Amino acid sequence: MRRGLLAGAVRRHWGRLLVGVLLLATHQAAEAAVPVAIGLVIDRAVATGDWGALAWSVAGLAVLFTVLAFAYRLGSRQAVLAFEREMHHLRVQVAKRVLDPRGERTGMRSGELLSIASSDAERAALVIRGVAMGIAALTALAVSSVALLTIDVPLGLGVLVGVPLLVLVTTRVAPLLTRHSAAQQEAAARTTALATDLVSGLRTLRGIGAQHTAASRYRASSEGALRASLRAATTTGLYQGVTAAASGLFLAAVAGFAGWFALSGRLTVGELVTVMGLAQFIAEPLRTLGFCGQLLATSRASAARLTTVLDAEPLVEHGTRSVDSAEVSLTLQGVSYRTLRSVDMAVAPHEMVGLVAYDQRDADALLAVLAGQVPEHEGAVLVNGIPSADLDIDERRRVVLVEQHDIALFEGSLRENISGGARTSDDEVSAAVAAAAAEDVVDVHPAGLDHTVTDRGSSLSGGQRQRIGLARALLAAPPVLVLHDPTTAVDAVTEELIAERLTAKRTGQSTLVVTSSPALLGKADRVIVLDAGQVSSVGTHAELVDTDETYRKAVLR
Amino acid sequence: MSDLLPVSTPKQTWALLRAELLRQRKLSTVALLVMLAASGAGLIAPWMIGVLVDDVTAGAGAGRIVGIVAVLVGAALVAGVLVGIGTTLVARVGETVLARIRERVLDRALHLPSSALEKVGIGDLLARAGDDVSAVTRAITQTVPDLVQAVFTIALTGAGLFALDWRLGLAGLVAAPMYVIALRWYLPRSGPYYAKERIAIGERTQALASSLRGKATVRAHRLEDAHIDRLTDRSASAMNLSMDVFRLFTRFASRNNRAEFVGLTAVLVVGFLLVRGDMATVGAVTAAALYFHRLFNPVGFLIMEFDEIQSAGASMARLAGVASLDPPADPDNPREPAAASLEVHGITHHYDGPAVLHDVSLRLEPGERVALVGASGAGKTTLAGIAAGVLEPVSGVVKLGGFDLADIGEARVRRHIALLSQEVHVFDGTLLDDVRLARDDASDDEVLAALDVVGATGWVNALPDGPATQVGEGAHELTAAQAQQLALARLVLADPMVAVLDEATAEAGSAGARVLEDAADAATSGRTTLVVAHRLTQAERADRVLVLDKGVVVESGSHDELLAAGGRYADLWWSWTGIRGVRN
Repeated sequence: MRRGLLAGAVRRHWGRLLVGVLLLATHQAAEAAVPVAIGLVIDRAVATGDWGALAWSVAGLAVLFTVLAFAYRLGSRQAVLAFEREMHHLRVQVAKRVLDPRGERTGMRSGELLSIASSDAERAALVIRGVAMGIAALTALAVSSVALLTIDVPLGLGVLVGVPLLVLVTTRVAPLLTRHSAAQQEAAARTTALATDLVSGLRTLRGIGAQHTAASRYRASSEGALRASLRAATTTGLYQGVTAAASGLFLAAVAGFAGWFALSGRLTVGELVTVMGLAQFIAEPLRTLGFCGQLLATSRASAARLTTVLDAEPLVEHGTRSVDSAEVSLTLQGVSYRTLRSVDMAVAPHEMVGLVAYDQRDADALLAVLAGQVPEHEGAVLVNGIPSADLDIDERRRVVLVEQHDIALFEGSLRENISGGARTSDDEVSAAVAAAAAEDVVDVHPAGLDHTVTDRGSSLSGGQRQRIGLARALLAAPPVLVLHDPTTAVDAVTEELIAERLTAKRTGQSTLVVTSSPALLGKADRVIVLDAGQVSSVGTHAELVDTDETYRKAVLR
Repeated sequence: MSDLLPVSTPKQTWALLRAELLRQRKLSTVALLVMLAASGAGLIAPWMIGVLVDDVTAGAGAGRIVGIVAVLVGAALVAGVLVGIGTTLVARVGETVLARIRERVLDRALHLPSSALEKVGIGDLLARAGDDVSAVTRAITQTVPDLVQAVFTIALTGAGLFALDWRLGLAGLVAAPMYVIALRWYLPRSGPYYAKERIAIGERTQALASSLRGKATVRAHRLEDAHIDRLTDRSASAMNLSMDVFRLFTRFASRNNRAEFVGLTAVLVVGFLLVRGDMATVGAVTAAALYFHRLFNPVGFLIMEFDEIQSAGASMARLAGVASLDPPADPDNPREPAAASLEVHGITHHYDGPAVLHDVSLRLEPGERVALVGASGAGKTTLAGIAAGVLEPVSGVVKLGGFDLADIGEARVRRHIALLSQEVHVFDGTLLDDVRLARDDASDDEVLAALDVVGATGWVNALPDGPATQVGEGAHELTAAQAQQLALARLVLADPMVAVLDEATAEAGSAGARVLEDAADAATSGRTTLVVAHRLTQAERADRVLVLDKGVVVESGSHDELLAAGGRYADLWWSWTGIRGVRN
């Protein structure tokens, strides 16, 4: 499957890639030809003093460099364009799959999905660069080999065997290096993580005067990272020294043989210079090939992760039926899921029902079932008697809206966040804001509803976010609205306001509020109590307070 | 909110770097000398090939090769040793300078005066302590040793060209202005593009992050099409900018190729003329051409890495800006408060808009417990921040033990007044170390005792590794209520005279909130305490309740007095406890 993704990437851009590869190969061949040309010019012009040869030499060099420059300019643009387009394509595909209304069964957390959509999409697309650079490097090797073998077969063979050996030996030493530099990178990353952790918690640290302690902790970690860096520096130095000495010794050997042949008349001066130049140049494309190998390995690993997401099975099935009535009831029949055990309950049309769960896990399980994102529950969720899985997926989401407790706001204005992109008049938006007792959130900003919410609403306080989320749910005005602890981050005065206005706003529609707030429960037509996964009692808030000791303890403060 | 922290000028940045380098003068000097010698050793090979060419031209015997190979082998070994030592030393100097700078940056960041922190916000600090430090680290670890080597190679190869023949040297120098012109063409054009590209990539990441993290909401509200459209737009514009930048870069690369061509041709043509005029040997010209060809890689490296170096330089300037902040200073004649009374007098405060507090005064006797009650936006959190000395009021004074906070000095104030804000942060590391942040020299037993005071012993022992469990992001995640208890345990360990509590207890649900209220009571027992009451039960437990409305104190008295008075507070209480609902 992962080969499928990478092969697909190459296939999608094959035309552009082909042009890019041909041009990049030309560029590499031209690069390889530079030392050859130097040798030729020395041989034919400098050594002879022939003006005509000099003219030809200059013209030849001009052509060579023109080809070299244009081949790179045009070829690399094609290859990079293919890479950028593929990256864009993969990123959008992942986002589409993750946001698909039917959900996905990867079980991955959003942080992980984010890193797949950003880093892995980029790394998987590297296959394009790997292919382009790899083929170009192979071409350079081929051109160099032909040139060397044309000059002198034994010498050429010696260089062609020697250089790969040299590269192999130096890359063999590399793992030693990687181990130390991996330790160094880890220590550096830990130190950076500590810095961001401490700075993120700066207000907390300041609150207890702990900045000094924090700074000395950071110093200790930084010293540790420094020690790791110094160890790595020694290994890197050793590696660099060995590489420099080895390539110097190899060149000495080539110079020895080529010089001997030249002195004994088997090679011309120009050929001697060419051989020396090529022996030095050839290591470049070989290293590039090694690098392409790494690129492809990276790309394959990322492609595997991308495939897991792109091929993930949808989470829920859906049908095609619709609810043809404005009066909607919601019924649960024998629903068992996680901690829930055969729950039967209903919200009638126009009814406002409060739900108290003594165990938070029961509330979480119930909300997951109602949100329609868990296929594995037992029992039935009926909307006006129709099993919710039989409803068209858009219809289902139109009719039943579950507003999460953890309010997610998006980049954009307050208005866009509240209206959810739908066309709505200012009056409607203002009415929803008022019903959520969020006027102060709007009024405090000079731009009012046009105030820009940044970075998932982090510029707003918890209580402000909660009320903006509530306004959004109220403006959507779904036939059935399910709210989860909508007032936990607001103070007592505001909670009271919300309880009154929410009830008024939802008149004529069905509402289920999962909460332990007496202010909200007091306004509900009926309160359902979940205890140990089952419905234990049903009644009005007042009745339950009077008759049920456990209920009183759970909700009264 | 962005970039209110200072950014150093290039001159100041250099001054900081120079000062750090001077602290290890010997090592830096040796490192540079060794690198210089290493680059010099690299020049021997092309020169010997030139000698070889002359021998061949002169028709010398094959035996000449032995001496040449011997010199080449010697040069290779010496170069290897020098390169090895040189790169090690350069990295050692670089890494040490880096460590000193990052430590100083974090020290200054953590000790940023409260007034500055409230203006700057955490974001910019976080970017500097995180991203900028990483960028500079990457540059110093990966780029600097190669950079030093490239610069030296270029300088010495240039010198080598002149040593062969000054006329050949001049010929090679023809390329220099062309490289400079190419850079001066490229840099001013690429800079703004890179900035735009970075912004576009940032926006793309942000759009992705917000859509993916909020995917449940996106689905519930049927927003997926709008979000995918926006993501596609963002991703496409980042892609287009990246392509624009790359196109510009390839044009720059062509200009460099042109410089290479002109330089190489000049060397060869001048060499041709010199050889014709018997002023140089073919070998010298060969060596010169090889020298010049040898410059392609280091010059290319410098040019390719120029952006990286520039962006590391920008990060370095931002780090230097923080590092150059003054360390926190005490007032000239610091006062040491003896009594734990806290007085807030005539406080008026506003942020950018209308006033949030109007002439609020309040006095807490030592050991007294006062609760603030009011709607969102009534000014409770602002008043708490001002009383704790982390927020400077526009007018009015705050006194601790009779002394103005300004005369006590921020460092002392923080030792005496603790503030638990709504921001709860669990620090990465073991739970013990987290609490120990409050007092570094506390023993395990003292930490455990503090945890016990706030009633956390039960759940702490039930953690996978007990109190030694790794907590924080990515490790064992604590519930909101547990994190609050941890914050209270830190307060117990810090043992301040005054505690200001502004925690969000309601998230824990009714039962959890009761546990937290008990913990807060235990943690603040005996201390002068100001509580922002998010739940009215917190007010019920206080000695005195202050009701704030739109920045003005409207009611004040004990819980019972206020209930008996039947005012706003009483109304609120009956409704909030749910008992009114029952009576109706």
